[in-house]
Amino acid sequence: MRLVARLRFLFALWLGKFVFFAARISGKKGTTLPGALAIKLCPELITYLARQLPNGAILVTGTNGKTTTSNMLAAILKKTGAKITFNEAGANLITGITTAFLNSATWLGRIYTDMALLEVDEATVGKVAPLVKPHTMVITNFFRDQLDRYGELDKTVALVKNTVQAYLPQTKLVLNADDPLVAQIGVGREGIVYYGVAPSEYSTTESSEAREAKYCSFCRHTYEYEIYHYGQLGIYRCPNCNFRRPKPQVSAENIKIHGFKGISFGLGDMEISLRQQGFYNIYNALASVATALSMGINKDLIKDALEQFAPQAGRMEQFAYGIHEITLSLVKNPTGFNEVIRAMVHSDKQLGLLIAINDNAADGRDISWLWDVDFEKLEHKLAWVICSGIRAEDMAVRLKYAGVDPEKLITIKDLSLAFDKMLDKVEGDLGFYVLPTYTALFSMHELMSTLRRTAYAS
Amino acid sequence: MHLKICHLYPDLMDLYGDRGNIIALVQRCRWRGIDVEVGYVTLEQPVDFRDWDIVFMGGGSDREQGILFSDLCDRRDNLAAAIDDGLVLLGICGGLQLLGKYYQIAEGDKIPGVDILDLWTVAGDKRLIGNVCIESHFLSERAELFGSIKLETLVGFENHSGQTFLGNVEPLGKVIKGSGNNGKDGSEGVRYKNVFGTYLHGPLLPKNPHFADFLLYHAVERRWGQRHLNKLDDTLELEAHRYMANRLKQQ
Repeated sequence: MRLVARLRFLFALWLGKFVFFAARISGKKGTTLPGALAIKLCPELITYLARQLPNGAILVTGTNGKTTTSNMLAAILKKTGAKITFNEAGANLITGITTAFLNSATWLGRIYTDMALLEVDEATVGKVAPLVKPHTMVITNFFRDQLDRYGELDKTVALVKNTVQAYLPQTKLVLNADDPLVAQIGVGREGIVYYGVAPSEYSTTESSEAREAKYCSFCRHTYEYEIYHYGQLGIYRCPNCNFRRPKPQVSAENIKIHGFKGISFGLGDMEISLRQQGFYNIYNALASVATALSMGINKDLIKDALEQFAPQAGRMEQFAYGIHEITLSLVKNPTGFNEVIRAMVHSDKQLGLLIAINDNAADGRDISWLWDVDFEKLEHKLAWVICSGIRAEDMAVRLKYAGVDPEKLITIKDLSLAFDKMLDKVEGDLGFYVLPTYTALFSMHELMSTLRRTAYAS
Repeated sequence: MHLKICHLYPDLMDLYGDRGNIIALVQRCRWRGIDVEVGYVTLEQPVDFRDWDIVFMGGGSDREQGILFSDLCDRRDNLAAAIDDGLVLLGICGGLQLLGKYYQIAEGDKIPGVDILDLWTVAGDKRLIGNVCIESHFLSERAELFGSIKLETLVGFENHSGQTFLGNVEPLGKVIKGSGNNGKDGSEGVRYKNVFGTYLHGPLLPKNPHFADFLLYHAVERRWGQRHLNKLDDTLELEAHRYMANRLKQQ
C-alpha cells in the first residue's frame, strides 16, 4: 500500500473505532455510524481488511432467514473454535458490515479473526461481494419484501445473479434447491451445494398463497409442482425446457412439528431437534448445515450447535407471564407472516394477539403487503386482537375484511399502552403472540424483557 | 341481485396486495346481503366482458405485463364494447397503463397498448414512490344513493417508474400529496365512462370505502337501475383513511 493510501486507511479505521467507542459510552449500539464514516474516508477499507482473513469470508443473503441462518452458522463455527468477524446485530448494509470489520482489526490495521461471516442485504450484495470476494455464498430464498425500497422482485434476483456471475466465478454457492428463483442461479455452474426438504405430511399439492416465480426463469412456461412446502418453495419442474429442482445433497426428511416445543427432522443418519417453531427454520438450519458440511466440519459438532441454538431476539422467542407463555415474533413480509400464522394455527388453542405495524423506512413504507397475508385462516381462531403501531388502523381494517368480528378488535397505537392492555387480557388457555414489524420489535422486545424469558421445555 | 366480479389475470397482475380490492368488493356486497361471485380469468381463458358487472386488473412487473399483452389484445374489441355499455372497470398501475395507447420505454421504442383510453405512458428515470392523497369531487355527487358519507379524498400508495399523460379524458383526481400520474401536472389516474384507473395500488378500496361503494353502485345501476345501497358501519375504514389523509396534509 502506498504511504498516502495507508495513512488514509489507518485514519478511517481510527475514526471508525473512536466513533464506535464514543457511541458505546453514550449507550448506543454503534452498529452502523462508525462504518458509514470510515467508508466515506476510505472506500477500500473492507477490501484491505478482508484480504487479510486467513480463512476467507462467507456471505449469507436472500429475503427471509438471513439472520437466523447466519446466527446458526456462527454458532457452529464458534464451536470449532474459530474467531469470526460477524455482523450479528443484523446490520446487513455496507455500513454495518464495515463496522464489523473495524471491530475485528487492531489499531494498526491488522485483522485478528480467522474468517468473516456476513449477513448481507439482497440489495447490498452488489456492493459488498466484489469487495470481500467470499469463498462461499449462501442464498436462502427470494420473496417480495419491502418493494418500495428495492423495486420489483425480478430486479433483486437479477442483481444477485449478475453479481455472482460477474464477480464471484470461483465462489462456492450454497443454494436452496426448493426455490426456483434461487436454484436457477446455479444452472451452468460447477461445485454447487444444494439443500432442500423432502415431501412430508405438511406438504400440500395446491398453493393458496401469493406466489413468486410461477413462470420458468428460462422459458416462461408455468412450473409444475409435485408438492409445495410454502410460498414457491417445493418440488417443481418446467414442462417445456426441463429446468427442474436440482437434487439436494443435503435433504431434510421425516419432519415433525412439535407445537411450541419446536421442530425435528432427519438428515442422513442424523436426527436434529430444533427449539424453534416455524417450518421455515428447517430451511435456516439446512442452509447452515450445508455450508458447515461443505467446509468439512464434523457432523456431531453441527448437531450439538443447532440443538443448543436459542432463537434470536424476536424470532419465535418465548416469554413467561405468570402461568402463561407469550411468543414474540418479527413479521416483515407476507411469506414470513404466513409461516407464523401456520405455526399459530397448528396449536388447537384460540389466540390472543398483539400486532404492531409500523411504516418507518426499515419496515418498508408501503404496508400493502398485509393484504397478501392469509389472515382469513385465523378468522375462527381469534379471541381478541390488539392492533398497534403507526398503522394500527390499517391492521384493524385488514382483519375486519378477513372476516374477524370488529368487536374483537382493539386499536391502541402506542406500543407501550398496547402492551399493558395485552397483559390485562392474558388469561385462560389461549395461545398468546406479539407480532411486531421491524422498528416495533425493539420496543416490544424491551417491554417483553420485563417478563421472564423461559427456559425451553425439552 | 347477483353481482359478478371478474379478476383479470390474478396470477400475473397481483403485485402489492391487489387482491385486497377484490376482498373489499366481495365483503361489502356480503355485508349488504348482495349475492356476489368472483371469476378468475387468465391467459387463454374465454370470457365475454358484457356478462360481468365489475372487472378488476391489478399491477404486475414488466415481465408479467409482457406475457399477457397479446392475450389482452385478442380481447380488446369485446372489452371496448362492454366499456361502451357501461361496464365498471378498475385498473391499477399496469392495469391502467395497458389500457392506454402506448408505453414508451427508455430506449425510445413504443410498446403499443390496447388503445381503449386516451392516455400514454413514458418510462421515467426515477421511481415515484410514497403515500398519496388525492381529491376527487365526483365521489360525493351522489353519495346519498349508496349510503356513503360525503368524502372527496382517496388515499393510497404509489410505486411506479412509468409516467402517464392524459389526452381527452378526465383524471381520477387532483393530487394533494404525492406524485400522481407523472409528478408534473398534478393529475392522478383516469376516469372514462365507468372505467377508473389509478396508480394507488394494493388495498385501495378497503381504506376508501366510499370509492368501493361508488363502484358497486354503478355496477348495480347498470344492470338493475337506480337502487339504494344499505349504509354500512365504516368506522374502522374511515379511521384508517383519515389517519393517512391527515398525516399527508400536515406534511
